[in-house]
Amino acid sequence: MISEEIKKSLRRAVGAENVLDSDIDRFGYSYDSSSMPILPAYKPDVVVLPTTAEEVSKVMAIAFAHGIPVTPRGAASNRTGGSVPLEGGIVLSLDRMTKILELDEDNMMVTTEPGVRTIDLYNYCAAKGLFFPPDPASWKVSTIGGNIAENAGGMRAVKYGVVSDYVMALEVVLADGTILNTGGKAIKNVTGYDLKHLFTGSEGTLGIITKATLKLIPMPKQRGTLQIMFKSLDAACATIQKMLQENIVPAAAEVMDKTSLDIVSKKRKVILDPVIESCAIIEIDGEDQDALDAQAKRIEAVASALGAVNFQVAQSQSESDELWAMRRGLSQAVAALAPNRIGEDIAVPRGSFPEVVRRIKKLGEKYDLTIVVYGHAGDGNLHPTVLCDYTDAELMERVHKAIDGIFEAALAVGGTLSGEHGIGISKKPYIVQALGQAGVETMKVIKQALDPKGILNPGKIW
Amino acid sequence: MLTNKSEELLREAEQIVAQCERCGNCLTACPLFKVVNIERVGPRGKNILTRALAQGGVEPDSKALDVVNFCLLCRSCVEACPSKLKTDAAMVNVRQYLMDKAGGPGIKYKTLGSVMKSRNVVKMAAGMLAVLRKTGLNCLVPYGMAPEEYTREQLPGASSGPAAFGKQAAPAEIELTAASKVAYFYGCGMRMMFPEAAAQTVEILKSVTRPMLKDNHCCGLPHLGHGLRGDFLELAKKNIALFEDADVVVSDCASCSGTLKHIAEYFADDAEWKDRAAAFSRKVMDLSEYLVKAGYRPRQRVEARLTYHDSCHLGRGQGVKTQPRELLKAAGNFVEMTDADTCCGGAGSFHMDYPDIAAKILASKRGNIEKTGADVVVASCPVCLVQMTKAAEASGGKFKAMHISQVI
Repeated sequence: MISEEIKKSLRRAVGAENVLDSDIDRFGYSYDSSSMPILPAYKPDVVVLPTTAEEVSKVMAIAFAHGIPVTPRGAASNRTGGSVPLEGGIVLSLDRMTKILELDEDNMMVTTEPGVRTIDLYNYCAAKGLFFPPDPASWKVSTIGGNIAENAGGMRAVKYGVVSDYVMALEVVLADGTILNTGGKAIKNVTGYDLKHLFTGSEGTLGIITKATLKLIPMPKQRGTLQIMFKSLDAACATIQKMLQENIVPAAAEVMDKTSLDIVSKKRKVILDPVIESCAIIEIDGEDQDALDAQAKRIEAVASALGAVNFQVAQSQSESDELWAMRRGLSQAVAALAPNRIGEDIAVPRGSFPEVVRRIKKLGEKYDLTIVVYGHAGDGNLHPTVLCDYTDAELMERVHKAIDGIFEAALAVGGTLSGEHGIGISKKPYIVQALGQAGVETMKVIKQALDPKGILNPGKIW
Repeated sequence: MLTNKSEELLREAEQIVAQCERCGNCLTACPLFKVVNIERVGPRGKNILTRALAQGGVEPDSKALDVVNFCLLCRSCVEACPSKLKTDAAMVNVRQYLMDKAGGPGIKYKTLGSVMKSRNVVKMAAGMLAVLRKTGLNCLVPYGMAPEEYTREQLPGASSGPAAFGKQAAPAEIELTAASKVAYFYGCGMRMMFPEAAAQTVEILKSVTRPMLKDNHCCGLPHLGHGLRGDFLELAKKNIALFEDADVVVSDCASCSGTLKHIAEYFADDAEWKDRAAAFSRKVMDLSEYLVKAGYRPRQRVEARLTYHDSCHLGRGQGVKTQPRELLKAAGNFVEMTDADTCCGGAGSFHMDYPDIAAKILASKRGNIEKTGADVVVASCPVCLVQMTKAAEASGGKFKAMHISQVI
């Protein structure tokens, strides 16, 4: 419990209106968008909503002096429990730090506060013809600080990478309140340890990101969408592999399995040819329509050589939206099938994508569960989703065994536990298996050095 | 008093919110969350609170009631939700549950409910407001609830609450014929605050049909929204009986038409009233919906630049978006405003319960109206019109506010 005296100092640090401690407010900051049950609730003792780095620094100094746990949070849209305050203490919500500080068009970089929503940052840069590519599915709601802390990805990762590929500089408040600046606008910035990348993806366990400078690239002038249907999942995956080998790099390459297709077509009242077993939705971009046409032609050649049964190029924005709607509608369509679902996020070498999907399907049969598989085949990131019901203990036991199996399958082919959602709480049990004892111990040494009292987002990652 | 019915309402609400994935897409759409970004204010917070209430993790006390009361019921979140989760319906249920638990609504809503329940008191209140307006004392009525009227006669010179329902009420599929018996539903808000606009509605209806004028009862929305479900059902039955001989019931208040179109759902399990309620709901139409179907052409065309504010209950609540615009395009120089369908902060009694917050929401609406350069902002709901009038005053006369019946 935090004493009234400490709450008073927190109120002095950030203003009384930015400190919440009613029971209902504490409950409101006890959950995130992960599959964790909401009860029993991990209520923080107090919620603090700072608006400047200096305020964050003051809050951390207070927390450090009294050994109070601090769980940083953006929009709490993350899927692995990263912003659940497991040990109470302070929830530090950064979603009121919403200023975009500078758009440096010469250097093609943007500097922003952490509470800016990702889509707002994207649109702000796009208005100047500049492109911030990471596009997590949650980009309408998630904050850029959260994206950096989780090292988020998105559909365009196959061509453009993940958030860490764009982080140039960070301002971070350390556990004791020290404000650290690391990185800069120089492209070749190799002096000392690469701290900016250490904090990127650190899930709030090493410091609080209060400012970020991000690299931008020119906005592609044209975008196009293709939909290709296949008789097998292997053919869809092979097509994407072959495209990449032939240096045709799509901006996004999504694959849906038969179960996913059945769900979406049912929901959208579309009847699919029964021979169709999988579908690839591909986004291409380029300088002009000719470049797009040329790419589409080459992709069609690859796909038909590998047995595609249908190849469709969107002729307009609305047709493109229609094609993407199939993919985007998936999560929602899946959610409607069962009282609850657990969506996982594994990443495997691209070549192993079909093998892992096969293993996951077998797990579904073994444990008599519906497991839907879809994902970013272009970068080997899969989202197997297990349908379940939290109130059915027997079913949940099978669900957890299946999830263990999913992670085993990913690791067995040289993959990893997370492609874009982080580890948080939900994947802790698998971390040693994924990183090895030495890997985890090394990270713990870093954690100990930066957060000697263990107050930053305790209970996460391991 | 806590009955099995109120427990059942909480269970129904729990079933609705069980589909909440906590993704947060609703947060960016919620007008209240934009003004007060605290988790409990956003739809996600309210959904999860409902779950915790049902599962016994949060106390069902006055603080929980404050949370569910602080909602515009504007359905913006429903539209933004990937699962189209009906947070508004859940909130109405939880309000009823918590108020039952507390022994009924507080004195404020009980009084409001009693006023709206009695035809005579509504008429008296309307009379009093009319006197105040004539004597120029209307400024003494708080929250702009007795607005200065800007009438149709003044228009040619002008060139210079909320839906409480689970789903959108589909636009009526009534076949209109010359023999259709059309009745006008006189809403309390229109009667008390905009009698001149209501008179214009009747005049317009007279130009296309022979409207039946009935001394109807309140639609019951204020009761439903404030934990007086019993009163709502009672009023609904009276109105169902009263309009049994009409083929079409036309309302010029978005909240009334939205409520009336949904009445059937509340009697689905009532053997006696089920069919009568369904027949009633089917014949309800919004004014513009009716007029477009009846082939009405506006009485005048003015040079004034007109813009339109979509009332939540009409646009999102009933899907009636194109008809008012069609009529306005024929009546003047129509110009679309940004975020025309964002709630104005009126939302029934919300603007009286939380005037500061409502003012903040209205400020951005005013900005959007001003950007259009419109002479007149048009609305189809009395509470929206109260808000629009406040915005017009705040703009220092850059534009005026009018009900659609006064413009067409």
